[in-house]
Amino acid sequence: MADFNIRSDSVNVEEIMQQIRARIREKRGVDYTEQEIRDLAAVKLEKFLDPSKVRSDLLEQYRQLPRERANPYLDVDEDLFGSPRPWLRKVRRLLRPLLKLLVNPGPLERAIRLESVCHAQWEEEQRQLQPLQLFYELIHNMVVETTRLAIEVKNLKMRVESLSSRLDFDERRARALEGTVQYRPGATPAPAGAEGTGPRDEEGGAEAESAVSRSRRRRRRRGRRGQGGTTGPAPAQAAGSGESGAHAGPRIEGEAGPATPEANRDERPGASPEGETQPREAGHGPDTGPGSQEPGT
Amino acid sequence: MKLAIVVQRYGPDINGGAELHARYVAEHLARHADVCVLTTCARDYVTWRNELPAGTDRVNGIQVSRFPVARPRSPHAFARHSDRVFEQRHSVADELAWLDAEGPATPALVRHLKARQHEYDYFIFFSYRYYHAYHGMRVVAPKALLVPTAERDPAIGLSIFQPVFRGARAIMYNSPEERAMIRGVAANQGVPGVVVGIGSEVPDRPSPERFRRKFRMRSRFAIYVGRLDENKGCRELFEFFQRYAARTPGDLRLVLLGTAILPVPVHARIRHLGFVSDQDKFDAMAAADVLIMPSFYESLSMVALEAWALGRPVLANGRCDVLRGQCLRSNAGLYYENYDEFAAALLLLGEDRDLAAALGANGREFFCRHYSWPVIERKYLDVLRQLREEDAAGAGREVGIEPLPGWFARRRSRLPASREVMESLPRGAVASGDQGRRPE
Repeated sequence: MADFNIRSDSVNVEEIMQQIRARIREKRGVDYTEQEIRDLAAVKLEKFLDPSKVRSDLLEQYRQLPRERANPYLDVDEDLFGSPRPWLRKVRRLLRPLLKLLVNPGPLERAIRLESVCHAQWEEEQRQLQPLQLFYELIHNMVVETTRLAIEVKNLKMRVESLSSRLDFDERRARALEGTVQYRPGATPAPAGAEGTGPRDEEGGAEAESAVSRSRRRRRRRGRRGQGGTTGPAPAQAAGSGESGAHAGPRIEGEAGPATPEANRDERPGASPEGETQPREAGHGPDTGPGSQEPGT
Repeated sequence: MKLAIVVQRYGPDINGGAELHARYVAEHLARHADVCVLTTCARDYVTWRNELPAGTDRVNGIQVSRFPVARPRSPHAFARHSDRVFEQRHSVADELAWLDAEGPATPALVRHLKARQHEYDYFIFFSYRYYHAYHGMRVVAPKALLVPTAERDPAIGLSIFQPVFRGARAIMYNSPEERAMIRGVAANQGVPGVVVGIGSEVPDRPSPERFRRKFRMRSRFAIYVGRLDENKGCRELFEFFQRYAARTPGDLRLVLLGTAILPVPVHARIRHLGFVSDQDKFDAMAAADVLIMPSFYESLSMVALEAWALGRPVLANGRCDVLRGQCLRSNAGLYYENYDEFAAALLLLGEDRDLAAALGANGREFFCRHYSWPVIERKYLDVLRQLREEDAAGAGREVGIEPLPGWFARRRSRLPASREVMESLPRGAVASGDQGRRPE
C-alpha cells in the first residue's frame, strides 16, 4: 500500500479510486477490465464449444476426398454416339461407320475431351476449397485457444507471483516466530548474540547460536516424547545439557501452567488447546500472533 | 396542518426500507403537524395476506387506519404479468393488470381517500410502484406528495407511472440519482422536487467493547448489515472476500448481521451473527473497521448513512449509481466494480488508519449536514409550507394526473418492453449534490 500517496487531511475519494485503478492497471499490464477479459474468454469459448459448429466427421471427409475424384477423360464412342434411349443408341451404333465416313469426328472428340478436362479441373478446385475451409476453421479455433491460454498463463503468472510473495512472507514470519520463541524476554536469559539483534538478524554468530539452540530444543522434545508425553525435559537430558529443568529453554504454552485469559478468549475455531508451541509476538495484541492466523493465510 | 401518510405496510416490527422510512417520517412530522397513517392489513410483502386487524390502531403514538387487502398476490400470475410488461411489447391494459397482480389491492383504502380527502391537508404517498400509491394519487392528486423510493428496476419503465410522476404536487427524492432517473423517464421537471432521504436513530454512544465482549470478537473486521440475499450483492461479496482472504495475509474478518436467505460460506474469516438487536448492530458498526455495501440496487442506503453517522468508512458497490454517488458526495467511502478494486480498497482501508479515520470524519459531517433529523424535518416542512402558500394564493397547480387513454387505445400493444425503457434512462453517479437546496 506504500504505492498509494494519499493525504488523509484532504481526502478525495475520486482521486483515491483513480490511484487504485492506476495501480491495478500497472500490475495487470494490460488495460482490460476483469469483465472485458471474462467476456472475451466466454464468447470465444462458447463459439468453440458450440456443438452445431464442431465438425465431428472431419476425418471421414478427408478419407472420402480421393474417392470422389472423377475421371476427366470421356469415352468418345459412349459419349458422342451414346444416348439414354436404347433404340436410338442402337441406330447410332449401326450407322456409326457411315457417319465416320461422312464426318471427321476427331476435332469434335478433342474439343469434348478438353471441355471435360476443364470441368474436371474446376471440380477439383471446388473439392480443394472444402478442406481449405476446414483448415481455416481449425486455425481459427487454434488462434482462439491460444489467446485464451495466453490470458490464462498471464493469470497463472500473477497467481504464482502472489503465492511466492505469500511464501516469502510466511518464511519471514516463521523465522521471526522462531526467534521470539527462543528469546522471549522474561522467559529465559537470551544468549548474548541474540539480544537486540531481533528475529530477522542475518548475522552469522546469531544464526549459528540459534541453530545450536534449535538442535537442543529438538533433543529436549525427543526426550519428552520418549518419556510418554510428560511435560518438562528428561532429568538426564536436563542434567546433561546443564539446563535447569522446565525453566530453561523457550516458554511453551501448556507447559507454563494454566492458559492465560487471552488464550481462553481466542475465538479462532482451530485454536489448539494442546501444548503446541504458540508464541505471541511481544507488543502485539492477542489476535496478531499466530494463534489468530487462519490456516492458509 | 393534518397530514396522512399512505404506505403499503406499517408497524413497529415491519423493517422494510420504505415502510421504516414512512414510520420515521410519520413519527418525526408528528412533532409539527397532526399526522395519521393509512395503510393495509398486510404484514408480508410477498403475499399481502391480511394479518393485522382492519380499523384504527395506535403505533408509537401515531393513529394508524388499516384497510383490508381485497385479494392476496398470486406469485404465478404476478410473474406472468411481469414477464409480459418487462420483456415484451405490451399495452396500457397489460400494465394495469400487472399493477393489480402486484398489489396490495386495497379498493377500500382508495374509497376512503376519495370520501375523506377534505379532512386532510396533504397526503404523503410512499413507494410509487404499488396499487395504493397509483390509485390513491389519482384520487387526491392536488394534495398528493410522493416519496417514490424508486430503484433502477424495470418497473420504472412502465408508462402508467409517468403521469403520476408528472401529476404529484411535490416529490421527495431519496437521492440525486433517483431524481435524474425519474426526470429522465417522466420529464417532470415542472414538479417541485427535493432530495431529502431519511435520517436514522443512531445512539450517541455506541460501545464497540460491549460488542467485542459479547460476541468474543477480538480481531479487526469489516461488517455487512442487512438481509443476506443475492439481490443485495451478497453472493459476490462472499466470493470476493474469500478470494481476498486466500490471497491477503492478515486478520481482517467479515462479520455479517442479518437474516440469511443465501447460504453463508463456512470460512474461518467469515462470521454470521444473524439478526441482532439495534444496540448490538450499532455497537458492531462502531467496532468495525469498515462497512461493506455490496448491493446493486438501492434508492438510498440507510446502513451506509448509519455507518457514516458512527464515523466509519464505507466500501460500496460502484455499479450501483446511488451508492457510488453517496461515496463521491460525502468523500467518505470507496467503491469497487471488480475484485481487484475490492481487494485494493479493502486493503487500503484496513492498513491506512489515518485515511479510514478521515473518511469516517467526512461521513459523520455528511450525515449531520444532510441526514440528521432536524435537516430532514426542515426539508419536509419547507415543501409543505411552499405548497400551502401556493394554495393560499390560488396559484396551486390545478392540473391533476393525466387521464388514462380510451378503451381501445388502452388495449393497443404499442408500448416497448419496460426493461428497454429502463436501459435507456440516464446512468451514473451524481458527484456533487444539491441536497440542501430548496425545492425547485
